[in-house]
Amino acid sequence: MTAPVGGDVVAAPILPVADARRTWLLLRDELLAHRRSAAAVLVVMLAASAAGLVAPWVLGLLVDDAGAGAGTDRLVPLVVVMVVAALVTGVLAAFGATLVARLGETVLARVRERVMDRALHLPSATLERVGVGDLLSRVGDDVSVVTGAITTTVPEIVRASFTIVLTAAGLFGLDWRLGLAGLLSAPAYHLALRWYLPRSKPFYAEERLAVGERTEAMACSLWGGETVRAYRLEHRHTAVIEEKSQAAMDLSIGVFRVFTWFAGRLNRAEFVGLTAVLVVGFFLVRGDLAASGTVTVGTVTAAALYFHRLFNPIGFLVIEVDQIQQAGAGLARLAGVANLPGAETPENPPVPADSGIELEGISHHYELQDGKAGSEVVRAVTLRIAPGERVALVGASGAGKSTLAGIAAGILRPTTGTVRLGGVDLDALGEAATRRHIALVSQEAHVFAGTLADDVRLARESATDAEVTAALDRVGALPWVEALPDGITTVVGEGAHGLTAAQTQHLALARVLLADPAAVILDEATAEAGSAGARTLDRAAEAVTESRTALVVAHRLSQAVAADRVVVMDRGAVVESGSHAELLAAGGAYAALWRGWTGPITHTG
Amino acid sequence: MSGAMGARGVLVRAVRRHLSRLVAGALLLSVHQAAEVAVPVAIGLVIDRAVATGDRTALAWSVVALAALFAVLFFAWQFGARQTLVALERETHLLRVAVAARVLDPRGHRTGLRTGELLSIAAFDAQRTGVVLRAFVVAVGSVVALVSAAVILLTIDLWLGIGVLVGVPGLAFATQAIAPLMTRRSGAQQEAAGRTAALATDLVGGLRVLRGIGAQHAAAARYRRSSETALAASLRAAGTSGLYEGVTTAAGGLFLAAVAGFAGWFALTGRLTVGELITVVGLAQFIAEPLRALGWCGGQVASARASAARLAEVFDADPDAAGGTRDVDTADGITVALKGVSYRTLQDVDLDLRPGELVGVLASDPRDADALVAVLAGRAAERTGDLLIGDVPDGELHLDARRRAVLVEQHDTALFAGTLRGNLTAGVHNGQLADPEEEVLRAVEAAAARDVVDAHPSGLDHPVTDRGRSLSGGQRQRIGLARALLSAAPVLVLHEPTTAVDAVTEERIAERLSGRRTGLTTLIVTSSPALLARADRVVVIEGGRVTRTGTHDELRAADETYRQVVTR
Repeated sequence: MTAPVGGDVVAAPILPVADARRTWLLLRDELLAHRRSAAAVLVVMLAASAAGLVAPWVLGLLVDDAGAGAGTDRLVPLVVVMVVAALVTGVLAAFGATLVARLGETVLARVRERVMDRALHLPSATLERVGVGDLLSRVGDDVSVVTGAITTTVPEIVRASFTIVLTAAGLFGLDWRLGLAGLLSAPAYHLALRWYLPRSKPFYAEERLAVGERTEAMACSLWGGETVRAYRLEHRHTAVIEEKSQAAMDLSIGVFRVFTWFAGRLNRAEFVGLTAVLVVGFFLVRGDLAASGTVTVGTVTAAALYFHRLFNPIGFLVIEVDQIQQAGAGLARLAGVANLPGAETPENPPVPADSGIELEGISHHYELQDGKAGSEVVRAVTLRIAPGERVALVGASGAGKSTLAGIAAGILRPTTGTVRLGGVDLDALGEAATRRHIALVSQEAHVFAGTLADDVRLARESATDAEVTAALDRVGALPWVEALPDGITTVVGEGAHGLTAAQTQHLALARVLLADPAAVILDEATAEAGSAGARTLDRAAEAVTESRTALVVAHRLSQAVAADRVVVMDRGAVVESGSHAELLAAGGAYAALWRGWTGPITHTG
Repeated sequence: MSGAMGARGVLVRAVRRHLSRLVAGALLLSVHQAAEVAVPVAIGLVIDRAVATGDRTALAWSVVALAALFAVLFFAWQFGARQTLVALERETHLLRVAVAARVLDPRGHRTGLRTGELLSIAAFDAQRTGVVLRAFVVAVGSVVALVSAAVILLTIDLWLGIGVLVGVPGLAFATQAIAPLMTRRSGAQQEAAGRTAALATDLVGGLRVLRGIGAQHAAAARYRRSSETALAASLRAAGTSGLYEGVTTAAGGLFLAAVAGFAGWFALTGRLTVGELITVVGLAQFIAEPLRALGWCGGQVASARASAARLAEVFDADPDAAGGTRDVDTADGITVALKGVSYRTLQDVDLDLRPGELVGVLASDPRDADALVAVLAGRAAERTGDLLIGDVPDGELHLDARRRAVLVEQHDTALFAGTLRGNLTAGVHNGQLADPEEEVLRAVEAAAARDVVDAHPSGLDHPVTDRGRSLSGGQRQRIGLARALLSAAPVLVLHEPTTAVDAVTEERIAERLSGRRTGLTTLIVTSSPALLARADRVVVIEGGRVTRTGTHDELRAADETYRQVVTR
């Protein structure tokens, strides 16, 4: 859940999750794009599994020779066959593993790139509705789950599947009746899965939930550790953590309990198959089923060894079924994003005549969690900002300033009313074109990890270091940037050099200069730096708004003084409008605010 | 806790705490491993005694014996594995809770670790340390398996047995030796993949910022480049890991051919029975498993030791303040006095807070403000000079008494998951409030946060999510302020309480604050003229020293620098 520009909490609907068919389609498209590698994987892995069958078969022949009391004549050629088979298996396994990894990694890279592309180009309306949280978990957790599966589980699964198919085929190849005997274990495996899956699935879901709650409880308490101690809450918080941890632990133990019974059922299936092969083999060797031909002791040996060879891969597949399901769920969530339509871009958007912004009859309310309309936060506002004019928006928290700013920037679509840029409706202009003309610096601040220059350069990739430095200079950031250990090449962002709130804001403003839009909307709230820092930021904002159409949400009244016009909002409506001097002279709401802001002369408290 | 635990102490305690479970688990898993060894032996016996002879009675007994073997195999595993898992989970749980308790301990901790690191210690290092218990049990089981396989092999044929027992470990060592080549490549691959993953969350985390300047294209291109680099590293690693796979597969196959060759030779010359031939070959394949398991245990113990060292760092951390035993009477208000206090940037600071006073502190350097707040919060162990709370040196005060007397509300407001009401009443202990609803709302009103409560139909019962992220910065700050005001602490320290609110709201807060704290002592570290104007006295700290004291109006009238700093 994330707060929108205004602060009100809106509903937390999530992005779509693709169904099985659409998820598969996404994978199929990517596999088809690499169909030659896919075919090579198939052929090589099959061949590798087949070569692996030679050893037990040769062993069966040895058993026969020993049983028949034959001489050692055949021993050397048989060992040579085993040696050759071992070498061939090795070569094929090497190729197979390489090809599977290459194919898997390539498909993975394409999928994650597509997901990120869609995520980054999510239409504003969708982004405001779902928030960043869900998107973050998709490009973060889900990608990592799918990556883990593709790099470790998928090759193993492919190998295990091929081994199973070919060993089963080998069993039938030895003798079809032995093959059928081995197949008797199939229903037992099936029953084991049918018993396990419906029991474990809700259990696992519950466990994941409990683990999530435990993590949240710990994070919450530890992040606020100083507050916890200050308010003497440590016992209460430790108790909550203990309780959540205990709950998660109990579930983990419970899940494992179910799993052990499942493992028992797998053992039973192994027993059924192995016994069936040996018993059927017994009667075949005795000739009790002679009507359809006899087999040798060696064949039965090979069959039993084949079947024993199946224990591990089948066990692996069945046990990994969870992992596979989890990866499948992650992939479905990725496909949900990858299949999102891109932002609508009008074919030939009209060209705005100038950079003037007109807001006409704007009203807005957010949607609440239950889908109902919240209270109106902007009411019937009409505001015209002439090209090059600088307008400051003033009002208390919750007066609707940030919402109006978002609407003017085309990030929020008003419930009613129209926004025009140079006479062109923003809806007709389309999101991409709007962004080329109007830049928005919102309250959300973010330092992108990487060098400081690259961070600023996000606004214009082609900008040279000199241009980046010039932009930093114009917003007055150069003194502190040059004082950094590596200047503009200092690595900043999470886990690197930390920047103060004011420095972060400086970067945001420098980005706008580099992007060079015709109109800017500034909604940056920070007085973190104290008064002196605030003044520096005021000057930076002035540099950015110079010779541009500007709407500045004035969290500090000093921002209003420099504006051509001040618009005062109260409870969603515009109540005063005029220059700083005019409004002071008028002695209304703004004048009262100003007196408070500059500090009252006498005590009134 | 007496003395340092160290990594060893953590691991030893883990094993000791669950010793009986571990012994039971190890015994049962040993039985299981022995049963696993017996499966190929059993196949050989059944072929030898029943299939080759055609004896129906032998077949019947074979089936019964196989059933018994599988039953032993399963039950031994089930109970053994459960004992082990319960021990592992309990230990992990105990460690996790112990880390949380130590971090939240009122004495504080001097680990120098950031919260993210502490969280990762509580989550991952606790888990990895717990795994040492499983490694312990698995190691015992694997050794039993190896020994029983060795005994069987040596009884069947001394020289063949020796060959297998030397060959299998030799092979395992050889493949281990070439493993580093592969892991180096995959290390580079993981690093590149990690960077790409971090870039994804970083870019999406700043998505609103990107969108504001239309930089999504640039961001997507940047991500694609990083993803391509990661892919190239993965493709390179695929070759080496494929090679490794091929070499180990071929080596295993060649070894098997050698064993089959010799065993076959012996069988054909009558030195081994058919059943023994099958058993030898079967065991030669099986031995690789417990060996691999032992290798796994070695790796787990190494990583558990590293994790245990990190846990020990937390458990052994020195406290910030030990606290004494004395109490302080706060009934008639108390004084707080700093005498010659130096800490970080602060130098020789004297400051007196008298009962009922509202004092503003203007520190031109934010580091001075941070240091002063840390001293008052009792988080400044390296401080020199005296801090007297109600005339008692703070070191002699019991930590609970100290915290009851002086409450510090952090600048960076921390809210907790729960409801607005739960957060607001955090400082209310043991039903101090006569009319909870009314008093809570009055505090909310004083912090100009009524709109936060009124914005939701559920009002005070509106849910607050993890770390208060469902609220905006300004809302969080005001709820934090209301929480501090509601607690009615004898001495309240506020640090820049209005930085995230707009001018209008700040003015409202300033108007109501002093009325709310009448008769109680309040210290506000701020540069807001609206707040400073309401202070009885303003103390100016410059360059770590107290340079001037006076009322806001006096200072503003007399002092150009002061005017500079507070004029906006």
